[in-house]
Amino acid sequence: MEVSLTAGAIGKIMSGEVTSENDMMPVLQVTDLKHVKAHQNPTSERFRMVLSDGTHLHQGMLGADLNNLVKDGSLQSGSIIRLTHFVGSIVQQRRIVIVMVLEVIKVKFDIIGNPVPIKPSDQRGTDSGIKLNTTGSEQQGRGESSGVRQVINTETGRSNAAISPQVVQRQVFGTGSSVPASTPSSTRAYSNPSAGHGAPRQDYARDPPTTYPRQPTYQPQPPPPMYANRGPVARNEAPPRIIPINGLSPYSGRWTIKARVTNKAELREYSNPRGQGKVFSFDLLDADGGEIRVTCFNAVADQFYDQIVVGNLYLVSRGSLRPAQKNFNHLPNDYEITLDNASTIQQCYEEDAGIIPHHQFHFRTVGDIESMETNSIIDVIGIVSSISTTVAIMKKNGTETQKRSLQLKDMSGRSVEVTMWGNFCNAEGQRLQNICDSGGFPVLAVKAGRISEFNGKAVSTIGSSKLFIDPDFVEALKLKDWFEREGKSVPCISISREFSGSARVDVRKTISQIKDEKLGTSEKPDWITVSATIIYMKFDNFCYTACPIMNGDRLCSKKVTSNGDGTWRCEKCDKNVDECDYRYILQLQIQDHTDITWVTAFQEAGEEIMGMSAKDLYHVKYVNEEEEKFESIIRKVAFTKYILKLKVKEETYGDEQRVKATVVKVDKLNYSSDTKTILDAMDKLRNRDASSLPIKREGSHHTVEVVNTSIGSAGTRDPSSVERRDFGLHAHQSRQHGNQYSNGGSGPHGGGATSCNVCGNSGHVSANCPSVNEPQGQYRGTSGSYGGGLPRQHVGSY
Amino acid sequence: MDTTSPAVFVNGALLRRYIGQKVRAVIQVIRSEIGSVVGKSTDDQQIVVKGSPQPPLTSYLEVIGIAESDNTIRAEVWTNFGDSFDAQNYNELCKLANGEFRHLFI
Repeated sequence: MEVSLTAGAIGKIMSGEVTSENDMMPVLQVTDLKHVKAHQNPTSERFRMVLSDGTHLHQGMLGADLNNLVKDGSLQSGSIIRLTHFVGSIVQQRRIVIVMVLEVIKVKFDIIGNPVPIKPSDQRGTDSGIKLNTTGSEQQGRGESSGVRQVINTETGRSNAAISPQVVQRQVFGTGSSVPASTPSSTRAYSNPSAGHGAPRQDYARDPPTTYPRQPTYQPQPPPPMYANRGPVARNEAPPRIIPINGLSPYSGRWTIKARVTNKAELREYSNPRGQGKVFSFDLLDADGGEIRVTCFNAVADQFYDQIVVGNLYLVSRGSLRPAQKNFNHLPNDYEITLDNASTIQQCYEEDAGIIPHHQFHFRTVGDIESMETNSIIDVIGIVSSISTTVAIMKKNGTETQKRSLQLKDMSGRSVEVTMWGNFCNAEGQRLQNICDSGGFPVLAVKAGRISEFNGKAVSTIGSSKLFIDPDFVEALKLKDWFEREGKSVPCISISREFSGSARVDVRKTISQIKDEKLGTSEKPDWITVSATIIYMKFDNFCYTACPIMNGDRLCSKKVTSNGDGTWRCEKCDKNVDECDYRYILQLQIQDHTDITWVTAFQEAGEEIMGMSAKDLYHVKYVNEEEEKFESIIRKVAFTKYILKLKVKEETYGDEQRVKATVVKVDKLNYSSDTKTILDAMDKLRNRDASSLPIKREGSHHTVEVVNTSIGSAGTRDPSSVERRDFGLHAHQSRQHGNQYSNGGSGPHGGGATSCNVCGNSGHVSANCPSVNEPQGQYRGTSGSYGGGLPRQHVGSY
Repeated sequence: MDTTSPAVFVNGALLRRYIGQKVRAVIQVIRSEIGSVVGKSTDDQQIVVKGSPQPPLTSYLEVIGIAESDNTIRAEVWTNFGDSFDAQNYNELCKLANGEFRHLFI
C-alpha cells in the first residue's frame, strides 16, 4: 500500500513555481483539518487544512464545494489527496493553497514522514531545487524522464507583482547556487513530461535574469541560511563530481556522493566534558555498493535531521572524513563522514538513480557462523523453521525486555537460533509467527546481527539490526527454492543448542534453601520457583482499596484513602475517585517438604489462587456478609499444591532485615511434569556424586537381567554409614575382595547416592551396572581391575 | 488400610522377581476377557491379569495381587486409574523402588 507524495511539491507551491493544476497535480497528505468561520460571511463554514508533501507543511483552504467531503468523512486528517483543481494564491501576504477540486486517493493514512512547516528560509537542502528559481526554465533543459512532476510556473504575469529588490538579490544567490545543482545528472529531475504544457520555457542556461519575474514567492526574506554564510562570492561552479563511496578518503578534497539512505538513527542528546550536544547519523549506500555512515552534530544535526528520509536518494557533498568507529559503525568502510556547516545535502530523484539498491547485504551461511568470532556483526538469510513465543526477560539493570527466538535454516544444512530483542519481537516477530502458524516457512534476512555464544553459537539482534521478511532478493528466492526441493526434509544440525527461555527460568529450589542459601540478601532480588502447598491464609486484610486510574497503560493501584463521604483519594495521582478498585494482598503460608515460610501474593497471583476477583470476595465478606461462603472459599484455598514463582528480596524494616517473598506467578501443579522434573533432579544428583567415574547414568534404560534375580534374593542391604565421598575408594577395595556383599561401598543410601550391588561402584544401580552388561572400554579406564571379569565372578559368588 | 502384606511396585520386567509375592502394577488395558484382562505394563510388556474387575473399566488400572508367573498376576484389588496416566513416570518409580530406594519401600 505504497502511496508516494509528490516530494518537494509544497516547496514549489510556496515558491510560486506551481500555482495551479496546470503546473502540476501534486499528491499531498492532509495533516490537519480545521473548521473555520469565514470572516465575511459568518454563516458559511470553511475548512482550513494543512497539506504535507512528506517534508513540508503548508496551509490550504478547502473550497466550499468540497465541504461535504469532510462532513461525510471521506476527507480527514491523514487523507492522501491529489489536487486536481487548485490555485496557490497570495492572501494577506501569505501564499495559501485553495483547493477547488481534489481526488481522494486514500481516506485514512498514517502521517508520512515528519513534515515541518515550510518557511521560505527553509529552502535549502532538499528543496534547493526550488531555489532554483531559475527553475522556470529547467524543464526542457533537463532531459530526464521523471517520476517527479515539477511544474514550472508559467504565470509570469502574476509574478511581476511581487518582485522586490531582495528578490533580485536572491536571484543572485539563486543563480550561484543553482548552478551546481543544475548539473543535469543527479540533482533534480526537473523534467516533467507530464506537465505537458507547451508553455514557453526559457532555457535555463541562457538567462537567469529573465526568470526573476517568476519568483513571486520570494517575499522579502533573508537569504536562506545555506547561502548566508557564503555570501555572494563567486563560487566554484564546477558541477560536482560524483565519486563512489569506496573512493572517499580524507584527502579527497571536494567530493560529492550520490547515495540512498539505508538507515537513519534517532536524534540523540548527549553531554560530555566539553558540554552538551546532539547528534544523529545515517547510513548511505551507493550504486557501487559502497556504504558509509554520516554523522551530524548540534546545529548541523538540526539542519539535516528532518530532511533525511530512509530510502530516499541524496547528493551529499563537502563533509569531512575520519576513521570509522568500529564499535558502533558496522559498515564495511574504514571512514565515516561528519557533516558541517559547509556541507550540502540535496535530494535527488529516482529516475537517474534506479541502480542504487535499497539495501546491501553481505550474507553469510549459517555454517560459516560456527567458525566466526563471537560478537562480530554479520548479515544472514535463511528459512525460519520454527519460532517460539515472546518471553519477558529481566535485564541486568532490572528493566524488562522482550525476547523471542527462532530457528533459521539454510542451504549449508545447519540451523542457528536467532534471538530478537525488544521491538523486533512484537513487530517482525509477530508477523513471522503468523506466517509460521499458517504453515508457511518465511525467508528472513537479518542485517547487522551479532553473533553470540552460549551453548553453541547464536545470532541476536542489536539496536541497528534490520529484519526483512520474505524479501525480494536473489538469495531469498534461491533459498525458497532449495527449501521446497530438499530443505524441508533435510535434517538440520543446530549450531546453537536448544536453550529454552532465559537463564532465569525455573530455578527450582526448596523452601529451606531460601534460608540456607541466604537468597535475596544480595543486591538484586532472587527469582526462584518452588513447588509447595498453601497451608494457611490470613483472611483479614486480604485486599486493599486501590486507585483505578490508568497511567498510560498501567493501573496506578496505589492505596487510596477514604474521604469519609464515599469517595476515595489517591495521593499519587492526586485525584479523587468515587469507586475504588479492590486488589488482593494475600499473606500466605506455604510449605514444602523442607520448610515453611510466609509469602505475599498480589492481585494477579491472588486471583489465580482464590479463583475469584478481589472485589467479589470483598463483597462476599463485607458487603453481603456471607460468612459461611467466605469460609468455604478460604478453606478451599488451603492445602492445594502449586508451583509458585517467587521473588525473594531482603528488605529493611526499621532496624531489622527481613527476607520477603512475593508471589509473582502461580501455576497449578502438573504432577506429571513435576515428577519428570524431580526425576531429572535425581539424575543430576547421581551424576554429580559419580563424577569420579566416567560413567554417565543412562537413565535406567537397561533392562534388568538375570543377574538381578540373584541379587533380589540376597535380601536387603545394610545401610552403612560410609561417607559418600569415600565411596569410590571402598569400591575399589571391595572389589578386590570379590565384592563381598557387605562392602562398605553399598552404603550411603540415605544420602541418595547410588551404589551398585553388583560391582560395588557408585553412580549406578545394579540394574544399570555396566559390568553386568558388556564391559565397555571406557570402564576399563576407571580402575584397572574393573574392566575385568567382575560380573561373572559376582554372579558366581552368590 | 491393611498393611500386613505390602505389595511391591512392579513393571513388566520386575514382575518375574516377585513370583509368588504380592505385587502391584499399573497396566493399560488392551482387551478384556472373561476371567481376565490383558494389558500392557508401563514398560510395554504384556501382562495378563486374572480375575474379574467390576465394570466400567478405565484405560489404566492398578492391580494388586500375587504374581503367578513372569507375566501373570492374580488380582485381588482393582482400581481405576483413569484414562490419562503418565506411564513413564510410573515406570521410573518402579525402577527406583526396586533399585536404589528399596529400603524406602518394603
